[in-house]
Amino acid sequence: MLRIDNLIKSFAGEKARGKKKDEAGHSAVFAVNDVSFEVKEGELFTLLGPSGCGKTTTLRSIAGLEKPDSGTIAVGDRVLFSSTGSGRGVNMPANQRGLGMVFQSYAIWPHMTVFDNVAFPLQVRPRGQRPPKKEIAERVERVLATMQLDEQAGRQATKLSGGQQQRLALARALVIEPPLLLLDEPLSNLDAKLRESLRYELKRLQRELGITSVYVTHDQVEALALSTQIAVMERGAVVQLGKPREVYEQPANKFVAEFIGTSNFIPGTVASQQAGRHCVETSNGILFLESPHHLPVGSEVVVSIRPEAVELSTASKGEQAANEWTGEVVARAFLGDAVDHVVSVGRHEIRARVNPSVSIESGTSVHLQLDPSKISLVPVN
Amino acid sequence: MTANLADPAVTPEELTRPTDGPPEPRKGRWRGPLTPKMFIVAGVAAAIGYLALVPLGYLVWGTFFDAEGLDLGSFERAYGDGRIGELWGNSLAFAFGAALLSITVGTTLAYLNVRTAVPFKALFFAASIVPLVIPGILYTVSWIFLASPQIGLLNAFFEPFLGVAPFNIFSLWGMIWVEGLHSSPIVFLLMVAAFRSMDPSLEESALMSGATRLQALRKVTLPLVRPALLSSVLVILITSLESFEVPALLGLQNGIYVFTSRIYFVLRSYPQDLGAAGALAVSLLAVAVIGVAVSRILAGKGSKTYQTVTGKGFRPRPMDLGKWKPVVGVGILFYFFVTVLGPLLVLLYAALLPYYQAPSWEAFSTFTFDNFVQVFEMNSAARALKNSLILGLSAATIVMALMAVASWISIRSTIPGRGIVEQLSFVPLVIPGIVLGLSISFVYLRFPLPIYGTLFILLIAYCTKYMPYGMRYATTSMTQISSELEESAMVSGASWWTTFRRVLLPLLSPGITAGFIYILVVSFRELSSSILLYSPGNEVLSILIWEQFENGSFNVLAAIGVLMVIALMVMVTIAYKLGAKVGLRED
Amino acid sequence: MRKPRTLARTALAAGAVMVLAACGGNPTSSDSGGGGGDTASGPSAAEQLYEEIAELSGQERRDRLVELAAEEDGLNLYTSMNADMVDAVTEAFTDEFDIDVSTYRAGSETVLQRILQEQDANFAGNDVVETNATELMALQQEDVMAQCASPERIDEVPEAGKYEDWVATRFNLFAPSWNTNIITDPPTVWEDLADPKYDGQLALELGDYDWYMALTGYWLEQGMSQEEVDQLWADIVDGAKVVKGHTVMAELMSAGQYGLASSNYTYIVEAAMADGAPLETQPYVNPIIARPNGGSCMKTAQNPATAMLFMDWLLDEGQAVLADQAATPSTVDIESELIPVDGQQLLDEGAEWSQRYDDLLSGVETIGG
Repeated sequence: MLRIDNLIKSFAGEKARGKKKDEAGHSAVFAVNDVSFEVKEGELFTLLGPSGCGKTTTLRSIAGLEKPDSGTIAVGDRVLFSSTGSGRGVNMPANQRGLGMVFQSYAIWPHMTVFDNVAFPLQVRPRGQRPPKKEIAERVERVLATMQLDEQAGRQATKLSGGQQQRLALARALVIEPPLLLLDEPLSNLDAKLRESLRYELKRLQRELGITSVYVTHDQVEALALSTQIAVMERGAVVQLGKPREVYEQPANKFVAEFIGTSNFIPGTVASQQAGRHCVETSNGILFLESPHHLPVGSEVVVSIRPEAVELSTASKGEQAANEWTGEVVARAFLGDAVDHVVSVGRHEIRARVNPSVSIESGTSVHLQLDPSKISLVPVN
Repeated sequence: MTANLADPAVTPEELTRPTDGPPEPRKGRWRGPLTPKMFIVAGVAAAIGYLALVPLGYLVWGTFFDAEGLDLGSFERAYGDGRIGELWGNSLAFAFGAALLSITVGTTLAYLNVRTAVPFKALFFAASIVPLVIPGILYTVSWIFLASPQIGLLNAFFEPFLGVAPFNIFSLWGMIWVEGLHSSPIVFLLMVAAFRSMDPSLEESALMSGATRLQALRKVTLPLVRPALLSSVLVILITSLESFEVPALLGLQNGIYVFTSRIYFVLRSYPQDLGAAGALAVSLLAVAVIGVAVSRILAGKGSKTYQTVTGKGFRPRPMDLGKWKPVVGVGILFYFFVTVLGPLLVLLYAALLPYYQAPSWEAFSTFTFDNFVQVFEMNSAARALKNSLILGLSAATIVMALMAVASWISIRSTIPGRGIVEQLSFVPLVIPGIVLGLSISFVYLRFPLPIYGTLFILLIAYCTKYMPYGMRYATTSMTQISSELEESAMVSGASWWTTFRRVLLPLLSPGITAGFIYILVVSFRELSSSILLYSPGNEVLSILIWEQFENGSFNVLAAIGVLMVIALMVMVTIAYKLGAKVGLRED
Repeated sequence: MRKPRTLARTALAAGAVMVLAACGGNPTSSDSGGGGGDTASGPSAAEQLYEEIAELSGQERRDRLVELAAEEDGLNLYTSMNADMVDAVTEAFTDEFDIDVSTYRAGSETVLQRILQEQDANFAGNDVVETNATELMALQQEDVMAQCASPERIDEVPEAGKYEDWVATRFNLFAPSWNTNIITDPPTVWEDLADPKYDGQLALELGDYDWYMALTGYWLEQGMSQEEVDQLWADIVDGAKVVKGHTVMAELMSAGQYGLASSNYTYIVEAAMADGAPLETQPYVNPIIARPNGGSCMKTAQNPATAMLFMDWLLDEGQAVLADQAATPSTVDIESELIPVDGQQLLDEGAEWSQRYDDLLSGVETIGG
């Protein structure tokens, strides 16, 4: 459905709007550096990454709001942008791409009513392709009904609540029934509660309408909850592409592991390996785990242990129990649906998130059981 | 849920069919140079370039060249004066003082008017504009009548209590006071537009974080309207540096000379030393170019910072003043009485007298409407009023239309050379009126179309002269509009022109309206180039005013001033009512 | 937003129109040559008519001009007369000959600039010019005017008003004026202005360098040394106030801002007196400084016969109309002694006198208001 090949966009010379410094403080030369991916029909594809990673620039390039230096962007069999090909290449202007987009600030036109905002994309079609007034009215009302905004149609757009504005922005993007919907951090402006309810609403709508979507966010929870596919981006490049579970459970590198959820990182060396079953030696002891990486013996690695992969108990499971370490609880925090413990093990402090029924006082020595299927290996380059 | 939207089986082919999917790409996928956008953008840039370069070229030519070639003698004549340092010192003190005063007054009034539930709103909105309407000379002379140590009414009133005459209008402070108040409407209009386009919640959130109202104002509100403040400072500084009316009437009495007095002297004798006048204007040009560049850099830095009109709708609702309401109310009444009603009453008083005399029963007994009768009996008054209206309305419309596009070019586009457009649009501000008139007559006397001697040549002069103001008003508003509002329209399929017309223009309306009003009002006062360019039959109001002045009929002049205030107040009210109907609405 | 060429270039290109239009020479150099007057093609049609009519005199001349003017298209007059005066003059002229007059009115410098611009572009905008001596001298130097008034009428004008290409139609009189409520012992001679008793009450006008030049010349002629004259001026300026504009000068004086104006136009003061203002100019301080204002026909006149008729009439019947407007007609004897401002001297030394007057005034001491 959407295909992006070798997309490159540099900041050089151009004062690009999306320019931001990365965490290291130095500005990247490339906003987008050789990004390729494909979004299948009906998928919700997420570009996930910290600010400045190039996700928004990628999205804006798809929309036609930025002009990439090179690469190809195609929706179905329509090439939207191509730096190669015949003649001077292709760069279809934004207003001819026919995509739907929801902006971070919603970009609702404050001088128009709700109805006018939604009708706008239909009204500005070139003559000949413009539906008659009556049809515009019908379609707008239909979309507004879908978004439960039909009662607000006559109101000034600025008088809607935050959630309503968000739905209005979505209605406006959907009214032309676009082949592709682009969403630029659409939930980031909402408060936590509203964000959660709208997240499910969004997922339901996307499913029901079957609309192919590209979603940009820096919120990993949102990404994991909504996406069919996630592309994690760092410094202009896609570092991992996969289903939410894959990305979470098998992070391709430390950045991904760190960025998506919290994780405990323990350095070690591969002691043995057979068909993906690795035995890793760490300063705290041996760990057995499964990894698709197939690393040779002797490789330096980092083991990523998700807090929820750690089980705590005051009693040992027996001397033969694999992946069992001992340590001492140094802190705990009640989170409502879980209890976080910080356990000091050797030189490391390991975070463990356990069922609220388990709550162990600080200073108690505990046994940590590490579920081999939930530990991942992150290669060290 | 409808079948169409809900149907997951819609194939890509169906989605891309022309009637329902994205619009078919128009011919030529790279936008060629002949799109309406290119046409409009290039047209506007060319118009600005033309309007700015005609007088600039004339000025530069006259300044740097004589019949033999390059000649820098004009600089020596302009700056060779031993007192030039003192002249500039006075000028700068005067200009900075006036800028500070007008910005304080204009901004405060605009803030109170737009953002707070201030009492007497209608009254003082009108009052804030009155100084704009009164011709400078009338405004200055009314202040002489109010605050001269010898004959000032305010001094006469306070002297019995204080023992001394407290005010002396014939001083640097007096000059600053009059010029600052007279310029404050420029700031007021700009800031009204800026505040209108600001989300009150930005300020409210500062208040919620524990900031006092003043802190919120200083830390949140003012930084957010910095582009508008900068524009105001720039315009007021340069207009005050150029002004001669106020320094001449108030400063000369005590020997306070400003550098424009040099321009007056070099242009007074024959042959007029346009070269030296140009050499002096070159300094102003340098100030202007640097000023515009600085404001571009500042506005460019974190340009998003100033984008206060965002897609997250907001309600421009006024803030309750609470316990401050009576205080502010009294303050406004005081301001109104002192700076607006005072001069206006003096004018009215003078207009009712055959000649000026201090108020007394004897003076009141000579009250007469003769001066007003004389105005209405003036031969060409009706025609001049009509011409002024035509010119004012057309110039305001044309300039604001051009500048709306120009501000987009300057602020939003990535077109190479966009900065030049803003610089060029500012050039006419530093061109002395006489040079502007000469350059325009020079061109149109040789122009193949019969424009010379028609109203059209005045229109061109007015458009040139007011272009800088229009540009300040338009760019100030443009900086405030979030770029996402424009992008969302593009993504929705709107062409550039449709986006401009249906999204940007309505959102620019606070600035456009303010600029329109400003140009409309001040065009009624324009004399320096009108007087050279008008032709019999094309008289404008300012020419009639000048004639009364030449006749020595100061009191008839006062009557015209009073009538102008009334007429323009009506027009301004209408313009604002219309302007409020489009764009951002208040609750 | 891809642009094949830059906006800057578009904008600059537009300016080229102006440059192309201007390729005839420096636009601001005053000596770039009068247009119609000095072209190589010999005398213009208007000039031929002026010569032809010059042969005639008296009623014959008048009849012939009326006859020719009837075939012409009204009169285009550029003047710096004030509105009341020019309205009275043109109305009377139209009443008498049934000829329409379109009038362009502006300050004398503006009238000059306009004519220079038009002549330079070979645009015949006006038939007659009527303005101040300084500007007329400049136009005479540009050789764009032709003396066209009847010699019989010119003979009536005093020597100070006769020039090669133009003739005085009226005089602007500079005389001290005072507020009768404040000044009880007005000056009787110009030297009195230096009297310390007027300190703080005397006002000078910023632009009156021609008055300064004429008065200085008169004093020197009276046998004063340069030092004495300089001292006199220093004493006058000491304790004086400077105002800009003669109208403001009169207005502020009637309001009582100061009591004595050194050099206002008598007609402005007399107009204020007619309204009841407590001002006075008489008895005149003798001698009166008189600056001639005059008129002439343009070589490029499109309506030359009408132009001649107008000049003849203005020096004849028109003189009475001017007198009615508190002006001082040039052909009527004045009882007071007149010191004319020398037009030629103004043209040659104007800039220098302007500078000297400026220097003199800016030495004004700061006073308490």
